[in-house]
Amino acid sequence: MLSPKHIERFPGSRVLHIAIPALVLLGGRLIADESEDQLAAYDASIVQSDREHWAYMPVRRPQVPAVDDPEWIRTPIDNFILVKLEQQGWRPAPAAQPYDLLRRLYLDLIGLPPTIAQQGRFLANPTAEQFDEQVDQLLRQKGYGERWARHWLDLARYAESNGYERDAEKRHVWRYRDYVIDALNEDKPYDRFILEQLAGDELTDRSTETVLATSFYRLGSWDDEPADFAQYRHDQIDDIIRTTSQVFLGLSMGCARCHDHKFDALTMLDYYRMSAIMAPMKRPARDADIPAGSIEQLEQIAERDRVIEGLRNQQQKLRASFRDEFLTSGLSTLEQKVLSAFMIPVAERNSQQKQLVTTHQAELDQQLEAAFPPHTKHRFDDFQRRITQLQEQTPDLPKGYFLLEERNKPPRSYLLLRGRAASPGPEVQPGLPTVLVREQPSFHEHERSTGRRLVFAKWIAHAKNPLTARVIVNRVWQYHFGEGIVRTPSDFGVMGDSPTHPELLDWLAYWFVNDANWSLKKLHRLIACSNTYRMSKASNSEYAQADPANRLLWRFPYQRLQVEAIRDSILASSGRLNRKMYGPGVKLDIPEVVIESHADRNIWEASGREEQSRRTVYAFVKRSIVVPMLEVLDFCDTTRSAEKRNITSVSPQALTLFNGDFVTQQAKYLAERVIREVGDDPTAQVAHAWQLALCRLPNDEEHRAMADFLETETQRSISELNEGEVLTADRAHRRALVQVCRVIYNLNEFSYPN
Amino acid sequence: MNGGQRFRPNDTPCHRTRREFLWEVGGGFAGLGLIDLLSRDGFFTNRGVAANALKTPSTLKPPQFPGKAKHCIFLFMNGAPSQVDTFDPKPTLTKFDGTPYKGKAKFGSGGRAIGYLAQSTFRFHQHGESGLPISEIFPHTARYADELCVIRSMYADTAAHASGCLQMNTGDVQIGSPSLGSWMSYGLGTESRNLPGFVVMTDPRGGPISSASNWSSGYMPAAYQGTLFRNGGTPLLDLATPQGVGDRTQRHSLDLLERLNREHLARHPGESELVARIISYELAYRMQSSATEAVDLESEDARTREMYGLNNKLTSDFGNKCLTARRLIERGVRFVQLYSGGGHLEDTWDGHTDCISNHKLHAGETDQPISALITDLKQRGLWDETLIVWGGEFGRTPTSEGVGKPGRDHNWLGFSMWLAGAGIRGGQVIGATDELGFAAVEDRVHVSDLHATILHLMGLDHRHLTYFYNGLDRRLTGPDEERYHVVQQALA
Repeated sequence: MLSPKHIERFPGSRVLHIAIPALVLLGGRLIADESEDQLAAYDASIVQSDREHWAYMPVRRPQVPAVDDPEWIRTPIDNFILVKLEQQGWRPAPAAQPYDLLRRLYLDLIGLPPTIAQQGRFLANPTAEQFDEQVDQLLRQKGYGERWARHWLDLARYAESNGYERDAEKRHVWRYRDYVIDALNEDKPYDRFILEQLAGDELTDRSTETVLATSFYRLGSWDDEPADFAQYRHDQIDDIIRTTSQVFLGLSMGCARCHDHKFDALTMLDYYRMSAIMAPMKRPARDADIPAGSIEQLEQIAERDRVIEGLRNQQQKLRASFRDEFLTSGLSTLEQKVLSAFMIPVAERNSQQKQLVTTHQAELDQQLEAAFPPHTKHRFDDFQRRITQLQEQTPDLPKGYFLLEERNKPPRSYLLLRGRAASPGPEVQPGLPTVLVREQPSFHEHERSTGRRLVFAKWIAHAKNPLTARVIVNRVWQYHFGEGIVRTPSDFGVMGDSPTHPELLDWLAYWFVNDANWSLKKLHRLIACSNTYRMSKASNSEYAQADPANRLLWRFPYQRLQVEAIRDSILASSGRLNRKMYGPGVKLDIPEVVIESHADRNIWEASGREEQSRRTVYAFVKRSIVVPMLEVLDFCDTTRSAEKRNITSVSPQALTLFNGDFVTQQAKYLAERVIREVGDDPTAQVAHAWQLALCRLPNDEEHRAMADFLETETQRSISELNEGEVLTADRAHRRALVQVCRVIYNLNEFSYPN
Repeated sequence: MNGGQRFRPNDTPCHRTRREFLWEVGGGFAGLGLIDLLSRDGFFTNRGVAANALKTPSTLKPPQFPGKAKHCIFLFMNGAPSQVDTFDPKPTLTKFDGTPYKGKAKFGSGGRAIGYLAQSTFRFHQHGESGLPISEIFPHTARYADELCVIRSMYADTAAHASGCLQMNTGDVQIGSPSLGSWMSYGLGTESRNLPGFVVMTDPRGGPISSASNWSSGYMPAAYQGTLFRNGGTPLLDLATPQGVGDRTQRHSLDLLERLNREHLARHPGESELVARIISYELAYRMQSSATEAVDLESEDARTREMYGLNNKLTSDFGNKCLTARRLIERGVRFVQLYSGGGHLEDTWDGHTDCISNHKLHAGETDQPISALITDLKQRGLWDETLIVWGGEFGRTPTSEGVGKPGRDHNWLGFSMWLAGAGIRGGQVIGATDELGFAAVEDRVHVSDLHATILHLMGLDHRHLTYFYNGLDRRLTGPDEERYHVVQQALA
């Protein structure tokens, strides 16, 4: 909650302590005098109490608290959770049913339900040790990276087009998505993950992979024809500053662009220091995609191309030496007027002749090469062999969609008054937020870049940075439990929520860096193997009344699956899921009526059926036309970093899931699969469908409900004419079974796992 | 209901509130409209819950006292319009244009008194019999000057967009409280059985910051949340039963779904999202027949479409929304919120760089549709039962950051909004900002005062409309029931 302290503070915020220098109109441009003093005043406004905000204090390892019921403890997490419950005289919710727990774990870690065989193996012996084994197995699956990459892509404002009027495709940007999937699957240490995304091009072991990681900076929306280019350049830097500071540090640095932060101890100077770090990066001309590789590789390619160019020149010389002879030889099948055009000296050709030459150049070359005398032909082919050889020896590098920093001389950076590019104030050097550092680091130029981002990235990825580890362990916690220990995961400032379990947060952060060596998989394991994670969702009216938001975690929180997990689970259970990984985005169906209402009707061409059956993380996200099924089911806002999905439960979602083409089609597939796998017995069919989709057998009441439905619906459709045809009992039953499958996909339990 | 008596939406004959009752029997359900929906559909009787506690004839609840308005359309100008360029002319600004501000008032973001006074480049004319001054960027709306009640003395508690939008929508600067529309649904129930009671339409350029938190039901049951309609001409998709599925099969399948979901709910009592989801399917089924027609703008005649500006690229999007809004309230939707502006910086009313062209654009997109909406409501006899609210999350400074620089900063200390329609005395100005337009100084109206006024017009007393959560009776207007007041002067 907003405390009165905050409200009273900001009208007279810290900037009141700063003497605003007179602005002097000089030579038509506003400049600020006494700029050194002014800059010093910004830093001087940060006082000791600002530095004492909990999240800015060093992370220390708190003692694991003793509890009254040590039986309940499986990992130290449980101590921290249980001790707070015990203080209330409460008990944690009992453990969830094994089948519910298994489904929870699969959906959580890989975003897919367990197969019937996997269910069988675990449920035969559902011990805690077996469960731990399941955790390890799932973390080794590729599906883990596919599931958890999407969380990161939400944070990184990932989409595959630029937005705005033209909304052009970000070519090869999907390589960033694939990078994230691989990084997670390889369990790349989180500090390294940070370094690669923020300064992968400045690392000594720079590679294709680390350069592709820096696509992070270029994922945001981009207007290719802004009204004011100078201003827009800073809007782009602003997008980078906002995203970077929120994602890695939980700081809302963007607020300090035009004025000091209203609540947090972040000054405009801090903002423009960060701006100076980002400013040297440039967008490639024509919004191009560019090759990614190490400096050595890029140099090799440049050398290769230099040699190839020489060889091509040699080839050209051979052609030239033979050209006049060939043109008059009568061997060419080209029309005479074309040949004549070639014979006229370049400078004397008229426009028509120039056109003819351009159009037929390749054809002429081909004919000419075919007609070479043997010794010329031999020499020509030799050059060609060497070219091919070079291309094979040093193949092209994969292209990616990232920004470039190619010079080590940075542009000058200024503090922009009111955030306006046209109103530069004093010059600013790169630096870090004052409230978080005792002294500014020194920045050293690299050979090819300014080296600024590497200093910045190393500071973020440093074990002693008070925010980095707290922020990431909190995010991971949130994706497991629905809410973080800090419930404003991208705002750890004074306006953010206080941690519900501050000691737990610090214990996890310390453990993550010092014991787990920044391994996300170890963190998942610690969490998933806890008894806290194994709690059921059983409610308790007393606790619910006292703690309706479940801040003490007295039970496992209810949370709806994200649309990706809903869609992928449907595909997996219907048997249609295509597990192909990586590559360009897949265009899912968009209803005709939606495309028609768009200005450009050629805006979208859906991919083929097989491609569309791939996991949703591979779905192409176009900013101006988000696939309705994703949009309606609370896909994240693509214009900014999304810390958490909104969860709504409104009728348009029911329409999408109950009437939409996707579920209708998949329900048919599920019904076919069920018949294929268990035959004609209705009881077995229903049980099988239920198990595939919900990972459990239906109870008696559920069985009865579905049996009733199958029976009456089958009878009814036999007795009634269906669009003029009489159905056989078998077809009527199949139709009814499809309906049962459609209903199963719409069950609350399907989207809200127990 | 007696005016002085505390409003108990949940009063039952057995002297317990229904909420308390349901808390015990249902493990935490709360909220009358929801319960009504469920009981009307036989939900509780099916589960053998004591019927007498749930006897309610319809989802429609009587107001606490007769309200003038049955519907509300909130025209949300996302990004914060500048008052001195719209409804609060400041001749003094012209006099001091281009000079540094020398006063003592602290204003603008961060409280920094930097910048130069900047006159509006727009001309103001007096309109109607009342002579209400309105900026030239609203030529169409100006024709209804005598209907508008302009409040020039609005003020808020925050100058940041995210918290500003949340405060304007939920009364709270932080995420997690129910929105105005949710309070209305809670207090008054849903009039239409076939459409959601609370509908939101955002700008195609993007939603407001914190998107759905602005129409969330917060700590209330999820069934009170706003329903977002899609942008771009097709607000709802998949309204048709799938091909090859007959109407009766559709109904039977839905019945099966409901039966199974209720069975599941019985094992997970008190989960408001599960309940909301059950209701959403039932409503979706009814919408299949009703909503297609409700959002079908093609059925409007050419003159109406022209009037709303549907044939003009500039106005067609907001025109679409305004016309859809009229069709929705006509069919019983209680609260419709339309957003102008969304996404990035200048795509909203956030005119930091160039307030002049920014406001020309956004006013140009919305002015004709808004005026058409008023005309249309009047022609259809809906004007006297519909309240219209116009405004953004706060206002802008009367200064720019340099001489001749047309950008203006955020200003939460003083800004303008207008009300019109049911229960409103039009053709008047309430309150005033200081001579330069920095801060509200006369008859100041806090965002929560505005909320109290809107609730009052809908027949709800903000002091007595409470919802019990986490140990407290919560209000839209905050814990202190006497702190904020209905703006009496606005009332007809």
